[in-house]
Amino acid sequence: MKAGKFPLAYPTAGFGALLFVLAAMWYAASSQNSAAIYLLLFLLASVFLVSIPNTLTNLAGVTLRVESAKPSFAGDEVVLPVEIMNTSRATRYGIEVVLPDADKTRERVDSIPRKSAARLTLRFASYHRGEHKIENLDLTSCYPLGFVRASKRFVSNQTYLVYPKPAGNSQLPTNHSRFADNRVQQGIGHGDDFAGVRAYVPGESQRHIDWKAVARGQPLMTKEFAAETKGAVSLDFFELRFANVEEKLSQLTLWVIEAERARQPYGLRLPGVKISPALGQMHFHSCLRALSLFRPVEHE
Amino acid sequence: MSKSSNPIKRDTSIPRRPLLWMAAALLFTLPPFFDSLAVWVPSLFLLSLALKFWMETRGYRLRSVVLKLMLVATAVTTAFFSYSSVRGVEAGISLLVVLMSLKILEAHTAREFRVMVLIGWMLCLCGFFLSQDLTTALCLLIAFALLAVALIQFHRGAAPGAVWPPVGTTCKLLLQASPLVVLFFLLFPRINTGFWFELRPFRSANTGFSDRLSPGSIAALANSSEIAFRAEFPGSSTRPSGPMYWRGLVMWRCNGMEWRGPYDPRPKSSSSTRGFAGNSGLPVPSANAKEIQQRITLAPNGARWMFALDRPIKAVPGAMLARGDYLLSVQPIRKSRRYEVVSSESSGNEITAKGRAEALEVPASISPAVRDLAHSWTVHNHDSRGVVSSALQFFRTQGFSYSLTPGEYDDLEEFLFRRRVGFCGHYAASFATLMRLAGIPARVVVGYLGGEYNDLGHFFLVRQADTHAWCEVWLPENGWTRVDPTAAVAPGRASLDLTTFLETRIASGQMGARRNALIALLLRSGVFTNVRFIWQTLSYEWDSRLLAFDADVQDVLLTSMGIASRGPVFLIVEILLVAIALLAIYFAWMQLRTRSRTDRVKALYEYFCRKTARLGVPRDPCEGPLDFAQRAAQSLPNESNRIRQIANTYILLRYAPQPASGMVDRFAKEVNAFGARTRH
Repeated sequence: MKAGKFPLAYPTAGFGALLFVLAAMWYAASSQNSAAIYLLLFLLASVFLVSIPNTLTNLAGVTLRVESAKPSFAGDEVVLPVEIMNTSRATRYGIEVVLPDADKTRERVDSIPRKSAARLTLRFASYHRGEHKIENLDLTSCYPLGFVRASKRFVSNQTYLVYPKPAGNSQLPTNHSRFADNRVQQGIGHGDDFAGVRAYVPGESQRHIDWKAVARGQPLMTKEFAAETKGAVSLDFFELRFANVEEKLSQLTLWVIEAERARQPYGLRLPGVKISPALGQMHFHSCLRALSLFRPVEHE
Repeated sequence: MSKSSNPIKRDTSIPRRPLLWMAAALLFTLPPFFDSLAVWVPSLFLLSLALKFWMETRGYRLRSVVLKLMLVATAVTTAFFSYSSVRGVEAGISLLVVLMSLKILEAHTAREFRVMVLIGWMLCLCGFFLSQDLTTALCLLIAFALLAVALIQFHRGAAPGAVWPPVGTTCKLLLQASPLVVLFFLLFPRINTGFWFELRPFRSANTGFSDRLSPGSIAALANSSEIAFRAEFPGSSTRPSGPMYWRGLVMWRCNGMEWRGPYDPRPKSSSSTRGFAGNSGLPVPSANAKEIQQRITLAPNGARWMFALDRPIKAVPGAMLARGDYLLSVQPIRKSRRYEVVSSESSGNEITAKGRAEALEVPASISPAVRDLAHSWTVHNHDSRGVVSSALQFFRTQGFSYSLTPGEYDDLEEFLFRRRVGFCGHYAASFATLMRLAGIPARVVVGYLGGEYNDLGHFFLVRQADTHAWCEVWLPENGWTRVDPTAAVAPGRASLDLTTFLETRIASGQMGARRNALIALLLRSGVFTNVRFIWQTLSYEWDSRLLAFDADVQDVLLTSMGIASRGPVFLIVEILLVAIALLAIYFAWMQLRTRSRTDRVKALYEYFCRKTARLGVPRDPCEGPLDFAQRAAQSLPNESNRIRQIANTYILLRYAPQPASGMVDRFAKEVNAFGARTRH
């Protein structure tokens, strides 16, 4: 990740108000020719001026590392963990990470002690499927007085994936009619058989966290349970009758989710892509990834 | 490490800790308001501050726009009616304070906190409008600093440490700012924009005496410990001996017990200031009289009186020497003023025929008994001196007594023959009237007597309580001679200072009886005197050095530095350049101080990586030194040996239990050689 050599300072909204106060003080002092008011004026002006190098220094030795964001569905929040490291020998205060390209999403950490790091999660809305690049990240701070904001820009190569928005109202195709009778809609966690573990996603029910693994010092994992597996379905792009490619992708995404939930092995066929039927997180995500990165132009 | 919810995104309440600091700061802005504004204004301010805290903890908000508008309208109307106008400084400031109180009540988002701090700084400005003495200034400067603390605490969010860290940061900022403040204060051009509005006299009454001396007018001042002026003697290091009579104003117009200033305080014509020794022809005593130089710092009194010891012999700039040898300022004195004046101990010796006639005028309304008393002295004595001593003898022996509360009467006859109780005003007025009746030219002088000598700062502090009135009579051989009839009645008056003054107040029961013993103990203790002297000295320095540093003094300074002629714009540019240089130095210093110390091996290895990057093989952050060396050696076959060598040395330096002593230097040589070889 590249960073600008020096932080830049910008005036904040409070700066205008401060200028007004300073002007009022100056006017009062000069019209009264009063040394005491001049003293107050110069005190305020000097404290403000001195706060500029202090604000700039507050970013010195502070660097940013973007971690990989988990894929999200279009319309949902992207959760982007970042780590702010303070390599300097002083505590840094009131540091904010701003994503200028994503609605100025900002997150703030109040203090980072010397030689340590803070982790923040930036959350912002995703609108379009595909692979997106986090280009610019600003590290800003207006500590101590808040009349100037120091800002340091970081350029990141980090990308995040946005899956198509799951939508549509078609039923999951039942290519294998012999299994149709005993197919029961059962989601993950509702079956009886232990199907494995996967990474815990914040917001999920805590009931299925593998607490024993946590006690052993492992990260939070969610236990998956599933009902009996069934025959494979093929989710085929060409069989959908929508005019719009995005609608087709949304429908396929929904089916992928439904099939995965139902522990129904599924395969995916897109123009130029064919994924053979399977089940599980790996398979689930590789299907969604294919849907996310699908480029219609090349195939029409 | 601590995180907080984003204050900008979820901006619903003002954090508590900064609000507490802010409240402390605002309390410090109050003393000048309680001193000068209508009491309900600062009370409303306090009330809204208290209400704000009550509301914040319960999450109450002032949401209704109608209610807000009604509150504003009520406040403005009340301010208007209590001052009967919205013009004038006091009314304007009251309005500002009231509106700020309402803003404090209304503000409820973190964003508004900054606005509240700025409002606090505006309140400091308002405070300085009302009073600029040291006590007020200290309060307001503390308030200023506390507001900065509040702002810093606000930006610290939930960072650990609620008291000392923000205070420490504020102190650091103030310390860094102090050279800039000195620079700006001394050199920043004081451009005068006073033509838009002038500070009106906002004190309801002028302090000090008026140009009328009536019974009781001085007694009213006797309880005021307010400072009149301070005087230094730059020529001599010791205090002058003898009673100190500070001349203020000379009164010519007699009306029995009541005296007034001259009809026309015109300056003396230059021809009359010298030489004319009346009708006696005696040698002029002033030829070898001692001259005393004084430096006087006058507190603003709203009047035109300026003071000097005994008899000033020359006018000072901005003032004239009025008839009767007293200083009269051209403009009313509305701010602290400092001047040097030379006085003579000798009395004035000239009198014109017109002046003589004026100094003998008596009103016709004076009763025969009083006239007879004056005539009885002229019958028994042949010269003026004898008449004066007979009169003093009369006051001394006829049972007259001195009192601060003589009661209400203004009849000369009643005072001389029945009541016989009075204050210095009574004695001076009646004595001068009697002298005129006896045919001796006489006038009343009002000024100050004594004062408190500050051993620490070597200056006299004269208070309103030291106000005094005495007489001057024209004696043929001496000219105008000071006669103090009060001294004949109450010889102790001349040595009255604040301590004795306070003791007399205690004795007269004006303070609570229970506290008397404690206060008396306090007054007698040396600590009290010392603390008082230190405070007085500081206060004097504040007034005479800081407050007196106005545009004129600055001009003198700039001229002495040789930069006065360059014009204000150049001066501002130069000052800003110096300020920017100073800020750059601060910045560099702070960067150096907080930069992490990287060890030499790591720095060298990073240097090596930069070199390989320049050759087209950048190191990936996740690549270990061995892997990287492998890859780099493949990409740069010419340098493969060197790269492997460097990697090996680096690994040894990093991970060997005890690397050889000269290894770091060898590593440095290898790294340095690496770049140099490849470039050629």
